[in-house]
Amino acid sequence: MITQAAPPAQPPAVVPPTPAVRRRKRRPDLFRTLSRVLITLIVIVQVYPLAWQFLTSLRSEHDFATGDPFALPSSLTWENYARAFETGDLGRNILNSFVVTMGANVLIVLLGMMAAYAIQVLGFRLSKLVRGLFLIGIIVPVQIALVPLFIDYSQVNLLDTYQSMIIPLAGFSLPMSVYLFSSFYEYIPKETYEAASLDGAGPYRIFGLITLPLSVNTVVTVVLVNSIFIWNDFIFANTFVLSEDLKTIPLGLQNYIGAMGKVDWTATFAAVCVTITPLLLVFLVLNKAMIQGLESGATKG
Amino acid sequence: MLPNRSRTSVLVFLLPPLLLYGAAVLFPILQSLFLSFFSWNGISEMEFVGLANYIRMFVGDDIFWRAFLNALIYLAICLVLQLGGALAVASLLTSLRRGRELIKTLYLLPAVISTVAIAFLFVRIYSLEPVGLLNQLLHWIGLGSLERPWLSDVNTVLAAVSAPEGWRFTGLYMLIIYAALLAVPKELEEAAVLDGASRWTLFSKIRFPYIRPVWITTTIMATTYGLRGFDIPYLMTNGGPGQSSELLTTYMYKTAFTSTDFGYASTISVFIVIECLAAVGLILFLLKRKADA
Repeated sequence: MITQAAPPAQPPAVVPPTPAVRRRKRRPDLFRTLSRVLITLIVIVQVYPLAWQFLTSLRSEHDFATGDPFALPSSLTWENYARAFETGDLGRNILNSFVVTMGANVLIVLLGMMAAYAIQVLGFRLSKLVRGLFLIGIIVPVQIALVPLFIDYSQVNLLDTYQSMIIPLAGFSLPMSVYLFSSFYEYIPKETYEAASLDGAGPYRIFGLITLPLSVNTVVTVVLVNSIFIWNDFIFANTFVLSEDLKTIPLGLQNYIGAMGKVDWTATFAAVCVTITPLLLVFLVLNKAMIQGLESGATKG
Repeated sequence: MLPNRSRTSVLVFLLPPLLLYGAAVLFPILQSLFLSFFSWNGISEMEFVGLANYIRMFVGDDIFWRAFLNALIYLAICLVLQLGGALAVASLLTSLRRGRELIKTLYLLPAVISTVAIAFLFVRIYSLEPVGLLNQLLHWIGLGSLERPWLSDVNTVLAAVSAPEGWRFTGLYMLIIYAALLAVPKELEEAAVLDGASRWTLFSKIRFPYIRPVWITTTIMATTYGLRGFDIPYLMTNGGPGQSSELLTTYMYKTAFTSTDFGYASTISVFIVIECLAAVGLILFLLKRKADA
């Protein structure tokens, strides 16, 4: 599925270097050690806060309030997780995030494929213009849609529904999806379509029998890349959703800020750990596909 | 292109996506433009005010200018952390022999985590009482005099809310730049090394020009993302204390949903859109021109 030109993990250094080569390599070795140290430091900065969050979620409240923040917990406790589940409706939040992510992804994939098919394969006179229109959605910030959508939703009774989150999330992700699918469709040879046409297949059959089945890899890319942003969306959910029943994870986490801004930190971090787990697992399992998707998303978009 | 296509078939495939995109993106942009000429609180009658909102924004609103300046500083910090960090790490990574995949994964980890979780985390990192990670670290390395409540100090709060955003996405840009660096032909580099090129010459004369197109894309991505930054400042400080970490986006949000001044909020939105388009144009102009020179 993923044919990344990954660098070989082990250098094929089977042949022992001749003395002359070795002398020239000595200086780069110092450089290499230095870069190794630097990289390690940077990775620690990137990862340690997350590990710290997890460790904190296992500390007792007293330990957290009084101890040195870098110290390891004096004892491990699951109490915070119990409190986290008491305070919020984490199961519900995760379910809601799941519904929104799935709904938006279905739209993005299906509509993205259709638009790309129309632009790239069918072709029409104004296709350049349509491409340009989609470019706007990549540049323009999502905040522009908040006020208008809030007004429109209140007129058609869509405030406080799943759709109110799904529509803008899908709409703003659609351009990237269209670009990814069209740049993939460019590589499907024209002869494939011409042969099918000669056999009497119309545009719908060609879409269903040729284009759709070939798109599977791109679908994976599009879904993975968009899911990160949709799963973590805060701004649309925060603007359009009010009732507890529909709150997604980012909103649910806010419930842990109590009155007067007082926060039960250890329970909050426990809740954070619970809610980042689903996406984190997907990421760790599929990280190669996801990394490749992010790379191609940028270089083609 | 396809011989058997008909006008209807094009419409069947094109209309549904355009409908969603129009409803969610294009129409709201036009609506904002329209609303920006009105005064409206969402309940009473809409009142046409002409350019009054724009005049108020440019001439009579100090908070707007403060927020604009803050947004530029926020953007600058994000760009330095994201693009500078990304380029540095990507270059270092190419010199490693093993563990590249692992480092890529670890480095990208923060990008997977929601902004709400990140805001919580950084509130604790910056905290003074009880002592948070940053202040403790400063204490240990003998810079105890720098310890402070980073989020309530008006001099540091803007940098403090920008850093998490920069931190979050460095991994993403690093990946993209790293992929581009791998594509630089090895023969070119080897030839330059044989000619006695230093590391810096190698980088500035061969590698960087080669990845310039990707660099332009990443700069545009990072800039447009930086200009739409909202979640972390909104969650951590809500623009405070005072207006010291107010960005255009948080100011627009508060104008719309706290003061329910939809007309003026739309005016600010229109400004944000124009700002983004101008930024993209400027980047293309500057970086493309340099490439031609």
